Amino acid sequence: MKEKDKHSGFKTPEGYFEGFNNSLLDKLKRESTDIPQNEGFSIPEGYFEGLNQNILITLQEGESKVIPLNPYKKYYFTAIAAAASILLVISLQRKKEEAFTFDDLAASEIESYFEFHDYGMSYYEIVEIMPLDDINLQDMLQRRIKDETIADYLNDNVDLFEDLNLENDEY
Amino acid sequence: MISEASLVDQLKDKGTQSQAFEVLINTYKVRLYWHIRRIVLNHADTDDVLQNTFIKVFKNIEGFKGESKLFSWMYRIATNEALSFLKSKSKKMEGSNEELQAQMIENLQADVYFEGEEIQLKLQKAIAELPEKQKLVFNMKYFEELKYEEISEILDTSVGALKASYHLASKKIEAFLKND
Repeated sequence: MKEKDKHSGFKTPEGYFEGFNNSLLDKLKRESTDIPQNEGFSIPEGYFEGLNQNILITLQEGESKVIPLNPYKKYYFTAIAAAASILLVISLQRKKEEAFTFDDLAASEIESYFEFHDYGMSYYEIVEIMPLDDINLQDMLQRRIKDETIADYLNDNVDLFEDLNLENDEY
Repeated sequence: MISEASLVDQLKDKGTQSQAFEVLINTYKVRLYWHIRRIVLNHADTDDVLQNTFIKVFKNIEGFKGESKLFSWMYRIATNEALSFLKSKSKKMEGSNEELQAQMIENLQADVYFEGEEIQLKLQKAIAELPEKQKLVFNMKYFEELKYEEISEILDTSVGALKASYHLASKKIEAFLKND
């Protein structure tokens, strides 16, 4: 015999009961804290209703940016091409005479490169390729670091907090 | 409700993408708005960042491989957009991130879209003092009520580290609010 549908067609979101205990505990914790739940932010009336239209307009504006017609444009291109060719010839000749080295770059240029480029390297990878000879370790060792700074650093950089083997009252 | 996988398929198909994009905006606009607002604090900046987020999603949907949930991917874009926005703002201001945060809190007091009282202002001051990661985790857990597993996928951080971050952040905020 076919089993009778006990729930009369009602359904719950997937994983609802598995996550129920945790959501309930979170809710209880939230209610027992002194941290306010109202943040005080508000939004202009009807903002969300008009948002779709605004996004679509911005998107269309971006896609249909018309390049203004300019009768002098071809001359600009010719001039730019000529200038670029001259520069290329000069730089190639110069390259023959003297090759650029890492030392030719100003420190500020290197700093600004690292600041504005996502070079996709972790701190560890950078340390691996950086020579340590020029770094004065004494400067770092003599500087007193606040406990809170250390805690924040560990918190941001240590994935498994439990690995630190801290006692309960230490964090 | 349309499944995430078929929404992604529709977004990638030129014939259905505009309609699917509307569905996408309608589904996520409110949640992403509040996520961004908690990072940049004022409405006008949130509106800019939110629009940029959706435009980036639309332009990069072809590259979405489905390795994470669409929801997590969008949250990640929104978070990066909001943080980059603040970074460029502090660069323009030629000040540090701390100075920018202080300035943002000060601006809240004159903001017509901030109706908080003294306690809400103090809460924002407390949150502003947190390191970036703790701030994100606290907001996502306490106000946005996301699960640790969801936050873990968005911020690419282990659940253990997130729990520790949230614990530390809550303690710091409680201590700040108790201090006069």
